[in-house]
Order: sequence, then C-alpha cells, then structure tokens
Amino acid sequence: MEYDELGKLSPFHLDVIRETVNIGAGNAATALSQLLGSVVTMDVPKAELVSIYELTDRYASPTELVCAVYLRFEGEISGNMLWIMSEETAQELVNILVKKDLGDLLQDQIDQIADSLLVEVGNIVLSSFLNAISTMINCPLPVTVPAIAHDMLGAILDLLAAYYGMTGEVAIISETKLCVANNKNSLGGHVMLLPDPQSLSTLLSKLGVL
Amino acid sequence: MVAKHPVVLTSLGLGSCIGLVIYDDIAKVAGMSHIMLPNNHEDKDVKKLGKYADTAVPKLIEDLIALGALKSRLKAKMAGGAQMFSIPGKNSGSFLAIGERNIETTKKMLEKYGIPLVASDVGGNKGRSVEFYTDNWIMIVKVIGSEVKKL
Repeated sequence: MEYDELGKLSPFHLDVIRETVNIGAGNAATALSQLLGSVVTMDVPKAELVSIYELTDRYASPTELVCAVYLRFEGEISGNMLWIMSEETAQELVNILVKKDLGDLLQDQIDQIADSLLVEVGNIVLSSFLNAISTMINCPLPVTVPAIAHDMLGAILDLLAAYYGMTGEVAIISETKLCVANNKNSLGGHVMLLPDPQSLSTLLSKLGVL
Repeated sequence: MVAKHPVVLTSLGLGSCIGLVIYDDIAKVAGMSHIMLPNNHEDKDVKKLGKYADTAVPKLIEDLIALGALKSRLKAKMAGGAQMFSIPGKNSGSFLAIGERNIETTKKMLEKYGIPLVASDVGGNKGRSVEFYTDNWIMIVKVIGSEVKKL
C-alpha cells in the first residue's frame, strides 16, 4: 500500500490502529498515574480519517487556548505525537507536581519552570505510549526532544493539516483522552498518534494485518 | 474564496499556514486563501488550489478578475506563517519551519504577479486569527496574549 492511499484505509485497518492507540495509551495512563499518584482512566480510542480542510475546527473551537507537547519519532516507522490539554489542566498539573511555593520568583521564571515541567511530563506520557507500541511490534521508535506551545487549538492542528497536506488531502488522527480521577476539576488531555502516511504500510504489516 | 462587498473573510487559528487576502477596493471585491504549503510539485488532483502558495496566488487573481476586479488595482495583505514548535538543533529545514517557507513563497508569488503587499504580520511563534473587512479593507489580527493588530 502506498501513502497516497491513506484515504483507502479500510475500517478494519482503522480498528487495528485504534487498538494500537488503546495499548499505547494504556501504558501512558499507567505512567501518568504513577507520576501523579492518582488514578488515570482513558476514553475509548478513536482512529479516523479527516479532511485536512476540516481539521482545525473539528474537535473544538479553533480559538480555544491549549497547551500542547509535541515530539517526533523516527525509526523504521515515523510520525508525530501530540499531547493536547486545556490551559487549565496544564496549570493544575503544574500545581500538583510543584510542591514548593514559587511565590518568591518572577512570573517569567515561574512560567519557565512550568514549561520545563510540562515538557517533561509530556515526554513521559508520549514516550510511554510509544514504548508500548515499540515493544509490541518489536521495532525501536527513537524520539526527538519534545517541544511545547501554548496557543490556539486551531493553530496547533493547522500544522498537522499542512503536514498531511504534503502527501494528500486526508489526515489520519488516532487519539484518546486521559482523565485524572478523584479531582474536582476534570483533568485530562488528548494523546494523539499521528503516523506518517509513508509509514502506515510498515506499521500495519508489523501489526500483522497487511 | 472570493466575494463582493460587504463581507468579512475569516481564518481562525492560523499556525504555520498563511491567511492571504487580495482585494480591489474600487471594484469592491476581496478574496482569501488559506495557504498550507509553499509549492505544488506534482499534486495535479488537488481540490483546493489555495492550499499551495504557488497556485493560490494566480487562482485568487483569476477569481477576483472574474468578479469584476482590475488586475492593476489589486493589493494584498497577509498574516500567519508561525513556527509553532521549536526543537533545539532540528529547526532549519525541518517541517516545523514550514511557516517560514510559506511566507517566502507567498511573497515571491505576489511579486511575480505584480501585486503589492501593503501590510503583513508574519513569522514568530504564535498562532493568529484573522478577519478581513471590506468596509474599510482592514485585516484584524488576533494573537493570544497580545493586543489586536490592524493591518
């Protein structure tokens, strides 16, 4: 199967990718749970093909402020990963993890500490996700250093639209939501696995369905 | 898309992409393209020519002329082309820097077709929402955490 046949992925293939997200997210939820010391549950995963022209306003208002951690994996199979959460969730995670009072520091310094913390948590969540998949398909998936952005959801998804736009007009979005339980606010974030179209056939064949 | 006055052309949540507006304020017509990538190398079946900078500019011009615009009166304004994520040591030439290439190619194409770029707000690392009003031919650019800009 060639990459330009992304739009021709069968419902069965999408099911297999959904199950892969399930396994990756399960591992990510465990890692996040150990880090936070609370129960982390996950939603039923999704895997869908979305027109790149509809991507930016498909999931929520494109102007909603979110925090996103990004990393890229490049091995025999390559792709991008995103952890997207509301700005409130990001702030709450920082509050849970930073036990010390940062009141004496300048706002700039507090923001820097918060960002480096969120990048690290994102790194743990996304790497745990990939590790489970890597083990399952017996294929190393080396990752880049993660990066963070606080911006409009649309602007983050816009990058994905352009990315999948390089090879066609359809994006494959597979994701699930992690929810931190026992918290008065609903904490959670969407973990997205975004395989490169050129890698899909390798991924599916390693999963034994191609 | 192109339209006659009165209209508000919007593009919400632009990241690396570019919101390009070309207009003729005498014929009172304007059009906006959401440019995602610089060049259309071999994608002949593309449904939206506005996707690529090199096909978006001639397509907008053609559609505006069909709507009554005069080519010599056309002017352009644009915003976008941010780099949303930076990874140390992996930036130049990588996909993450696609915004910069979108800006360059769009500017080159406007130059090639002789359309003056009268105002722009491009680059940086923040997403933008743009609204273009044919009442006053002004482009409003909104960035989270910053003052609204009027181009």
